[in-house]
Amino acid sequence: MDPTTSLSEPSETRAVLERLRSDAPVRIDAAESVAELDAVANEVTGKASPIAAGRRSLGKVAPEERRDLGRAINDVAQELDAIIAARREILESAEASAALAGDRVDVTLPGRVPRRGTTHIVNQVMDEIVDIFVSMGYTVATGPEAETDYYNFTALNFAPSHPSRFESDTLYLDYGDVPEDVLLRTHTSPMQARYMEEHEPPVYLVVPGRVFRRDQLDATHSPVFHQIEGLAVDTDITFGDLKGVLSHFAREFLGPNTKTKFIPHYFPFTEPSAEMHVYTNGRWMELLGCGMVNPAVFEYAGYDPDKVTGFAFGVGADRLAMVRHGITEIRHLLDPDQRILEQYR
Amino acid sequence: MKFTLEWMREFVDLPTNDPDEITEVLESLGHEVEGWEPITHRFDGVVIGKVLEVGSHPNADKVRVTKVDVGDEVLDIVCGAWNFEAGAVVPVAKPGAVLQGDFEITQRTIRGVTSNGMICSESELEVGEDAAGIMVLDDDYPGAEEELGSDFSSLLPAGDVVFDVSITPNRPDCMSVYGLARELAAYYELPLAEPNLELPPTDTATKVEIVDDVACPRFVGREVRGIKVGQSPHRIRARLTAAGVRPISNVVDASNYAMIEFGHPTHAFDADRLGDTVVVRHATEGERITTLDELDRALDITDIVVADAERPVAIAGVMGGADTEVRDETANVFIEAAYWNPPSVLMTSKRFNLRSEASARFERGMDSEFCRLAADRVAQLLVETAGGVVAGVVDEYPARPPERIIELPGSEVERVLGISIDPQTTASLLGRFGFDVSGDDPLLVAVPTRRPDVIRAADLIEEVARLYGYDNIPGRLRFGDGQGLPVRQQRLRRLRSVMVGAGYHEIMSFSFIGAEDLDALLLPVDDAARTGIPVVNPLRDEEGVMRTTLIPGLLKAASANLAKRVDDVRLFDLGKVFLPGDGVLPDQPERLGFVAAGGPSQRWDAGAAGYDVYDATGLWAVIAESMEIDGAELRAVDRAPFHPGRAAEVILRDEVIGTVGELHPAVATHHGIEGRAIIGEIEVERLIGEREAWRFNAPSAYPPQVFDLAFEVDSSVAASVLLDAIDAAGSGLVEERRIFDVYEGEPIPAGRKSIAISLSVRAPDRTLSDEDVAPIRKQIVDSVVTATGGTLRGAV
Repeated sequence: MDPTTSLSEPSETRAVLERLRSDAPVRIDAAESVAELDAVANEVTGKASPIAAGRRSLGKVAPEERRDLGRAINDVAQELDAIIAARREILESAEASAALAGDRVDVTLPGRVPRRGTTHIVNQVMDEIVDIFVSMGYTVATGPEAETDYYNFTALNFAPSHPSRFESDTLYLDYGDVPEDVLLRTHTSPMQARYMEEHEPPVYLVVPGRVFRRDQLDATHSPVFHQIEGLAVDTDITFGDLKGVLSHFAREFLGPNTKTKFIPHYFPFTEPSAEMHVYTNGRWMELLGCGMVNPAVFEYAGYDPDKVTGFAFGVGADRLAMVRHGITEIRHLLDPDQRILEQYR
Repeated sequence: MKFTLEWMREFVDLPTNDPDEITEVLESLGHEVEGWEPITHRFDGVVIGKVLEVGSHPNADKVRVTKVDVGDEVLDIVCGAWNFEAGAVVPVAKPGAVLQGDFEITQRTIRGVTSNGMICSESELEVGEDAAGIMVLDDDYPGAEEELGSDFSSLLPAGDVVFDVSITPNRPDCMSVYGLARELAAYYELPLAEPNLELPPTDTATKVEIVDDVACPRFVGREVRGIKVGQSPHRIRARLTAAGVRPISNVVDASNYAMIEFGHPTHAFDADRLGDTVVVRHATEGERITTLDELDRALDITDIVVADAERPVAIAGVMGGADTEVRDETANVFIEAAYWNPPSVLMTSKRFNLRSEASARFERGMDSEFCRLAADRVAQLLVETAGGVVAGVVDEYPARPPERIIELPGSEVERVLGISIDPQTTASLLGRFGFDVSGDDPLLVAVPTRRPDVIRAADLIEEVARLYGYDNIPGRLRFGDGQGLPVRQQRLRRLRSVMVGAGYHEIMSFSFIGAEDLDALLLPVDDAARTGIPVVNPLRDEEGVMRTTLIPGLLKAASANLAKRVDDVRLFDLGKVFLPGDGVLPDQPERLGFVAAGGPSQRWDAGAAGYDVYDATGLWAVIAESMEIDGAELRAVDRAPFHPGRAAEVILRDEVIGTVGELHPAVATHHGIEGRAIIGEIEVERLIGEREAWRFNAPSAYPPQVFDLAFEVDSSVAASVLLDAIDAAGSGLVEERRIFDVYEGEPIPAGRKSIAISLSVRAPDRTLSDEDVAPIRKQIVDSVVTATGGTLRGAV
């Protein structure tokens, strides 16, 4: 059939359109894939379709009929386009679902884990302790690990005869001209004098760091461990402040219901001196040593003990890490076994 | 210090026997109780008996047959001991008795004679070490004879408890039963029994001359004559044993017993081996002494000795001499109780590395006022236990310590403790500890000679607080004026978190290493890292030198992990190294070190991969980016312990701040590390300095022009030269330059290589046209060609 000749009559064109209108929807809905639909669409509305032929024939149609016929053609075209679009939507959606249904894997195979390391638990604990004191208005400083006898002992009011000075207790370095003048600091307390020499009061300071003792590494001893020293000096610091601040620290670190008690102790650089014990895991445990700064220490550091008072404390970070995480032996903390380190989450 | 509660009760009538309460009280006073345990006996059914007859055994020479009265009956008992005769009061295990927990005594027939039980020795009863003969009770326990048939354990301290108390070094006065009794008496407000030791003040023939009255302000000598050296009575030995002191002989035991009881050490000389005059003086040049431990020791002129006219007989306060030691045949002893000046004793004991129980006490400071009582107590014990007669005393006291009075203003108590205590209460609290208080405000407090630790008001305030109760002082929460976490701390934490984010685990290695650990790094002879500062007194050779680098600790750690089949090891360490410097102290810069070795095992979705130099340089790039380090460069370096061709030093503003790269294969082999491993060490100070806040840069909204260039250059040309040349050109519009291929081989001539780069050029304010890009491209090509001497291979 030659469309250009056979559709020259408007009545014939209308008849063809009517047929198309009744046949095409069935064919469109019969299309089972987007590709099939494209083919059908081409046949019913494409360049070779009766609709296209009808439009081409309009020029030969009498002017008084042309307008009605044109509208009729467009109506059919629009109607079929809508049916095709609806069918397309259905088919596309089905095909996308089918494609996704095939794109399926075993999601329980181990995923690609971005590698992540760990901060050593002792540093985590030290950071945590530092943060508690920073939140109470303390600043942070650190000092040398190889220290002079003066700052480690003398300026802290250790008598020349104090047993800590014995070579059995303290590690000395072969450095400089004076024997036994340079040592590995036995506590972080030397920063008390160093800091006070450099700063005017008031002082609210914590000093985290590594300290040393002449001990063989075993379950309960280590030649290397870690401490946080604290120092508060002002015009009116009292033993009550010491108790309040350190009890607050214990509650922040161990939990809001942590009970504390203070019992007298001895440190050359504090007077009165105390140990703070905390009730944790069903028993009392010594948590830290503390006391009011000994006036002699103020004198060494150049502060007037009649004008200022202060308290100082020292807390062992290693033991706190052990207590909190059930680490039974201190040597585990020095062990670089990655299976241990990976637990320091 | 260990003691039994029963011993303590001789001096203070405690209102309780509850060890937990006593522990709490002692701790509230500052005397930490290490522990307490009840004295228990592992025997049952042992009674007191009296030997009525001792006869020979018809069929045996080595045992005897006895008749023993055990109160309600008389038992025939065969006994192998020979240290008793009829009349002896003894412990008897009757048939049915149990010894040592599970050994039941039964009626036995010994060579035809029936034995109805056993007469026991100390060691059989586990109440002492004596196994040579049976216990003879009447010597030690007068009155036992009245108790025939009673349970033997009633003689022993029943329900007694041994306390182990740790005495802080400032309290030498508490290193005794009496000293702690004084503390408990103060707490409970109870009277303290006075030691009653008045002995006749007879003169002796021995004269004492004190040359240095600073070293020895007081010297008491007490003579006891006619003693018989032997074993101490059981009750003395039992107390000593409970106190952790091994009984030796009645003379040694008397000295130890008196020391535990009252604190003051004494020394007994054999009076007959000691000359007529005792001199306390400095040792002379070249003088020597053989001490009790049989060592011949060279004395220094700073040492104080006790001497007679001929030779030194003791190192004062430290150890006696062998010549004048009390021996089995000694009949007369001269008991020394002196006050030795702590610094002298310390210096001498330290020099000889000889710390005795006595020297430890003298070092802390004894009480010169107590010397006489100490000597007399030993004499009294020797009379009781060694059958001696007190013969006389010499008491030289050339330097009585001045009375120490401390002023204690009431305001000072409040200034330190934060509570107001009225002066009467303060005075009363101090009075309970034996301080003599007068005045009102300030209080005038006289310090007893036994308290060398109390020298200023703060020391008195501690005494007040101890009795007032630390727990009765209210707490107050007090905040400081800090400005938050200092920048340095923030930056250190950031550095740690960068390493953690990159997959590395932080280790804490020792700050000291062994000298051979440095050798193992194959360092050149003149390498600065070789000059480790020695530790004078290391416990182990492996801890003999301060670390000069973090690498040895990391390599050991990596190696240990690989040996345990941890096959992907990534570790870092952040800590100080110790280097000789110009100051009083060594230089102690902080370093960051890392190691990665092994590698991930093959996975289901990818092959296995190890570590190589580009993991190290890539890690550096992450560190630099995260720590906002701009302008650092990498430069190839050949430096052990790094691989000679696969390591780079990090240069920041013309300064080398670290090295990263692969581990030298020989060093790796030495540490048992297989395959390639990477290490690095960087100066932390250069990473954590304060940085200016970065400025926001609005990304261009216009599209980029992307093109590729490939250059043929000599194989020796470093990629960094090429990239620098691109950065130098490009009119600042090069947004990204990425090397995507490096190729050697056909068709590139030998000795040459091709480097292909993808460039992205973008302007902030307009779309670049082809005409805009052409000159930029030319600039870049010219710059690279000039810098590398290479040629453009044409657009790829």
